[in-house]
Amino acid sequence: MSVTIQLQRRSGMGQFLSAIPGAGLLLILMLVLFTIVNPRFVSQTNLMNVGLQTSLLLMLALPMTLIIMTEGLDLSAGALLGLSGVIVAEALLAGWGVLAACAATLAVSIAFGALNGVLIAYLSLPAFVVTLGTMGLMQGIALVLTNGDPVGGFTPAIETFYRSQLWFIPTPIAIAAALYAALWLLLYRTRLGNYVIAIGGNKDALRLAGIRANLVHLAVYVLGSTIIGLSAVLLIGRTNSAHPTVGIGMEFEAIAAVVLGGTSFEKGQGWLFGAVLGALAITVLRNGLNILSIDSSLQVVCIGILLILALLIDQARKQFVRRTA
Amino acid sequence: MMHGTENQDEQGDRSLHTPKGSASRAPGSEADAPLLRLVGIDKSFPGVHALKNVSLDVYAGEVHVILGQNGAGKSTLIKTLYGAYAADRGYIEIEGRRVAVARPADASALGIAVIFQEFSLIPYLDIAQNIFLGREAAFSRFGLVDSAAMHAAARTILDGLGLDYDTHAYAADLGVAQQQMVEIAKALSQNARVLVMDEPTAAISERESDRLFQTIARLTEKRVAIVYISHRMKEVQMLGDRITILRDGAVVTSVLRDQKSQAEMVGAMIGRPSGSQLARTPRSPGEPVLLARDVNTAKLSDISIEILAGEVVGLAGLVGSGRTEVVRALFGADPIASGEIALFGSRALATLDRRVRAGMALLPEDRKREGLALPLDVRDNATVASLWRSFTSGWFSPAKAERDTRGLIAQLGIAAHGTRQSVHTLSGGNQQKVVLAKWLAAGSRLFLLDEPTRGVDVGAKAEIYRLIDQLVDGGAGVVVISSELPELVQLCDRAYVMRDHRIVGHLAGDQLTERAILELAVHQ
Repeated sequence: MSVTIQLQRRSGMGQFLSAIPGAGLLLILMLVLFTIVNPRFVSQTNLMNVGLQTSLLLMLALPMTLIIMTEGLDLSAGALLGLSGVIVAEALLAGWGVLAACAATLAVSIAFGALNGVLIAYLSLPAFVVTLGTMGLMQGIALVLTNGDPVGGFTPAIETFYRSQLWFIPTPIAIAAALYAALWLLLYRTRLGNYVIAIGGNKDALRLAGIRANLVHLAVYVLGSTIIGLSAVLLIGRTNSAHPTVGIGMEFEAIAAVVLGGTSFEKGQGWLFGAVLGALAITVLRNGLNILSIDSSLQVVCIGILLILALLIDQARKQFVRRTA
Repeated sequence: MMHGTENQDEQGDRSLHTPKGSASRAPGSEADAPLLRLVGIDKSFPGVHALKNVSLDVYAGEVHVILGQNGAGKSTLIKTLYGAYAADRGYIEIEGRRVAVARPADASALGIAVIFQEFSLIPYLDIAQNIFLGREAAFSRFGLVDSAAMHAAARTILDGLGLDYDTHAYAADLGVAQQQMVEIAKALSQNARVLVMDEPTAAISERESDRLFQTIARLTEKRVAIVYISHRMKEVQMLGDRITILRDGAVVTSVLRDQKSQAEMVGAMIGRPSGSQLARTPRSPGEPVLLARDVNTAKLSDISIEILAGEVVGLAGLVGSGRTEVVRALFGADPIASGEIALFGSRALATLDRRVRAGMALLPEDRKREGLALPLDVRDNATVASLWRSFTSGWFSPAKAERDTRGLIAQLGIAAHGTRQSVHTLSGGNQQKVVLAKWLAAGSRLFLLDEPTRGVDVGAKAEIYRLIDQLVDGGAGVVVISSELPELVQLCDRAYVMRDHRIVGHLAGDQLTERAILELAVHQ
């Protein structure tokens, strides 16, 4: 009596090929559509632009994937990005060196990540409310520090870094790629990665396996805010100035990218590469609409529609699979 | 690194200190010292004396069955053994050495593994990752997990159990039986010497059970001690080398296989000889309170039922035969396709809210989800179906609600700190009483009770029986669904028996016996 089960893994190439998520299909569709409507879309300059914008979104969406896999959420991600940028800019203006300014913003973002993490992991407060609260906190501090005005006039070294290239790849894209590789290794090839998946799946079971589950849970939030703090350097390099409110709405795009990529809010079911697809889909949509000169408020409407459309496609496919199974 | 099976052998041999020739000795023979001893374990919870001076000897290579009704203390005993509860008195010995088990980690370190009824697998980790969860260090290489080595080790363990599962499959994609087997593999990979299984066949099919029994036989050959919790007599007699019977938190008897007949064991479990019944006092029912004729729904065919005031009517049948669907249809919770239902002589009461106002009450099977608002307190739950009573001149009066709730707490004997205690902190029996209180407050006259004593301890069970008697004496009609046949026979004046979503029989008076119900409920 032998029961053979043939199951495919969903964390690798198998899933990618057999079940491209709705976001992937829409991405391909949009690429084709925008190219037909305006061939300028596939020009090298424009594609480079798409890459640069995607890489910045990924700095938020990749750690957000891990957080959502723990059945959590980080609404404060965008606010922290804005605050971190302000801190770097202010520190540079105050005559600090680049490394010192980075260290300062790192310290602040780690502290806020720890605050989120302690409240969520150790005190079991709902992530939605906690990060809603810290979002306001960070936003307020950024506004107080700047009186609400953009901060500019610091060393051009930051912008030079943003515009630099590693071999022929723009540095921001290279950094996003490196971050993806690092998080992929972490999630799929280390103990910590297993524990991150386990927290979303069954935190009690992880604790009963003798693991300090709360500490792992906390670490996910600290890791996320550390990455965001560092990516603020790229953000202010892009415009050579720091805007206290620049991050507002970026948490929305990051969460949308993660969900578009097929990561679920339940049971630790997630897919890191899905966030890349999701971020690309959002950026391509925005960029394409820009080329078509569509108003930026309408673009937000379109992102919302894209999100719902992708979910509908996934839902329809699930039901189709169930019927034919 | 653990390589399952070979290690199990060494472990077993080491622990026995016996020459190889003695391997053919009968499992658990008294000549060996017990591998595990529980001595004088006593445990109380507020209001319940859950374990009373329980002692237990478990020998290497034997299957030690713990038998008892729901609420007899089996689960509490396991949790104490596993360090999830601390015993008030008593201690645990392994190989004659007294050990401290304060936390689950202590139990694991001592080679005690438990497979609980609720599984602990992580849905989106694969089988290998689940088996070695928390013990990945053994496969660590340069800080990364050596996936290939981990899967190879998992393969070895699964092969040792005769399982050909793909170690890359997610737990989320496994069936219940497969999850059960992975839990066993996980327990074995920890070099478990004592493996506790809590009703392992409750959720799996017969074929899968057979597979589990083969695994158990293989494990006992390797001198692993199995503590097997069940109340299925067939399994107990097939598997058990030694059988300990628990009742009301105390050990009634501990015997070797074949020392007691099935009837004697059942008698020891329920505290009276099997087959004997408590005398039913015949009741004199009054007017019909409910008449259902030829009711058909999406899940039911031709249901005709009559309930009179002042009688208890049973709805018997196997799980899944449509009993719950019948009370839901009568209550108005599910739509009916055809047929008619007359309540208190009126056919006009067609919707759920009208029926409730007329005096119909449903005690649902899943009380936590359908019967209670768990985070809310006793008062909120008890008054929810009769909130209009708590209003004076148009305004909500907390004092009135408070008074009424106090009255209900006293009347039903609900063990709560007060009216504002949140119901999720109450025991199962007291939660059930709160659901009843809700309907008593609403002045209900027809009670549909779906498994009223499930998951309720023995004392609360008796109280619920007493409350049912009171309801009926007060002229209410009561319908009881129960999977426990003795309970049904004891409680009911008559019973309808269901099979395949139809009523297949009606038993009353002396005809109403466990055997008669079973014969009707099971396919011939």
